[in-house]
Amino acid sequence: MDLSRVFFTGNSTMNLERMPNEEKLSLCRRYYLGGFAFLPFLWLVNVLWFFKEAFLKPAYTEQPQIKSYIKKSALGLILWVAVLTTWITIFQHFRARWGEVGDYLSFTIPLGTA
Amino acid sequence: MNTSDSEEDSYNERSALVQSESPTIPSYNQDHDMSLPQETDSKRRRPVSSGLDEPGPVERERASTPDGEEEELTLKYGAKHVIMLFIPVTLCMVVVVATIKSVSFYTEKSSQRLIYTPFEEDPNSVGQRLLNSFLNTIVMISVIVVMTIILVVLYKYRCYKFIHGWLILSSLMLLFWFSFMYLGEVFKTYNVAMDYPTLVMIIWNFGVVGMICIHWKGPLRLQQAYLIVISALMALIFIKYLPEWSAWVILGAISIYDLIAVLCPKGPLRMLVETAQERNEPIFPALIYSLPCNLDIARAQEGVESEDDAAQGGRRRYSAEEDLEEDRGVKLGLGDFIFYSVLVGKAAATGGDWNTTLACFVAILIGLCLTLLLLAIFKKALPALPISITFGLVFYFSTDNLVRPFMDSLAAHQYYI
Repeated sequence: MDLSRVFFTGNSTMNLERMPNEEKLSLCRRYYLGGFAFLPFLWLVNVLWFFKEAFLKPAYTEQPQIKSYIKKSALGLILWVAVLTTWITIFQHFRARWGEVGDYLSFTIPLGTA
Repeated sequence: MNTSDSEEDSYNERSALVQSESPTIPSYNQDHDMSLPQETDSKRRRPVSSGLDEPGPVERERASTPDGEEEELTLKYGAKHVIMLFIPVTLCMVVVVATIKSVSFYTEKSSQRLIYTPFEEDPNSVGQRLLNSFLNTIVMISVIVVMTIILVVLYKYRCYKFIHGWLILSSLMLLFWFSFMYLGEVFKTYNVAMDYPTLVMIIWNFGVVGMICIHWKGPLRLQQAYLIVISALMALIFIKYLPEWSAWVILGAISIYDLIAVLCPKGPLRMLVETAQERNEPIFPALIYSLPCNLDIARAQEGVESEDDAAQGGRRRYSAEEDLEEDRGVKLGLGDFIFYSVLVGKAAATGGDWNTTLACFVAILIGLCLTLLLLAIFKKALPALPISITFGLVFYFSTDNLVRPFMDSLAAHQYYI
């Protein structure tokens, strides 16, 4: 593997303007697939980064596919946000009442409260 | 915590260097080999290179084109760079100072020290303390020199995989371990309950997306944000684990080392740059902060140079334009961010009040301006640390010892000037 090429492409400005469409599609797809590894943040980045490409640009061949990836990423993101919000709410509310289990799950325990 | 070698490595990696991309189109250069490096030249170490770095023959060639326009563009371009660099440097320092002021963990003295500063500072005897800090500095600087030389040797013998692995390991550590520590301390400070599952999700997401953005492809803004964050984390670690006086002496010694390593003909950093130029390769973009390309000026300069493009092949031209737009711009290495932030953070931690902190902050920015000015004049790689750190140190000690007591007694006597 030509590392200099890797470095160069890695460093090539992530300016979507200058990427050919196939590359954009491939990048979008990879970000979408990567998000399945418990990475809602990756989905968020995907949505924000490619939003303009998918919805605000004039149509080109790969655009419908990019659109579908963005939509699926957004869906996944909303799902994760819902799950996390629910869990955090439950945890914060019931932590004290769970006693030992609550302490076991806690990373930091606030001082001075029950 | 006895930090492992990889922390030192990561620090080394990030001893930054500014690299500027040459605005010259490769097509300009007669020499086939030298052309591309002008745009892809990047360094890992501290030198700051001129945004307008050009090879010798190209400069002369360019002299034939309208000079006035170019000079103006050069200056406008340079000024814009200065402003553009202020923002990330300021952001990094703000993050560090905000953390120091709010999270007490980073200012608590711990009995643990880095293995790079083995001599303990005894607060009782001034002479002993001074001696120990100098000894600590010598140890630290020799470690850094050795690491740099190893790096240059590895690079020269094309052990890219090793270097790449080293970089990945150090950024892994920064993104996961240090941010874990940081989050833990922040939660403790604000007395917030946090559970392991949520924490794991946060750290996992933060770390993985960070690795993707820095080492692979990601939006430029996000990459810049991550680089600022990891510089801040690294600076905080230094602030916490370097003993008081050693930190100041180390800062001074590092700037001297930077000066020597970049400017002396046999300096390791200079050799690194030259090797990279010869090979026509960019150096480890993972450790460099790059500014967004400046399209307008790029287009304008393209216009100025277009007649010379005709001599070159079409393919070359296309890549030249593309690279021109992308590579134009000053790049600052992460080590610079780290040491600037260490200086300001230490001033915030030990100085006590905001006068000192602000004075150091202003001093560093002035130093940065001057360095970039020198860059535009000399048009070659320059170390970014010496001027800023010197100003910073001077301002810190003078503000702490002269200005602060003065302001305090003025306030005590209610005398406004």
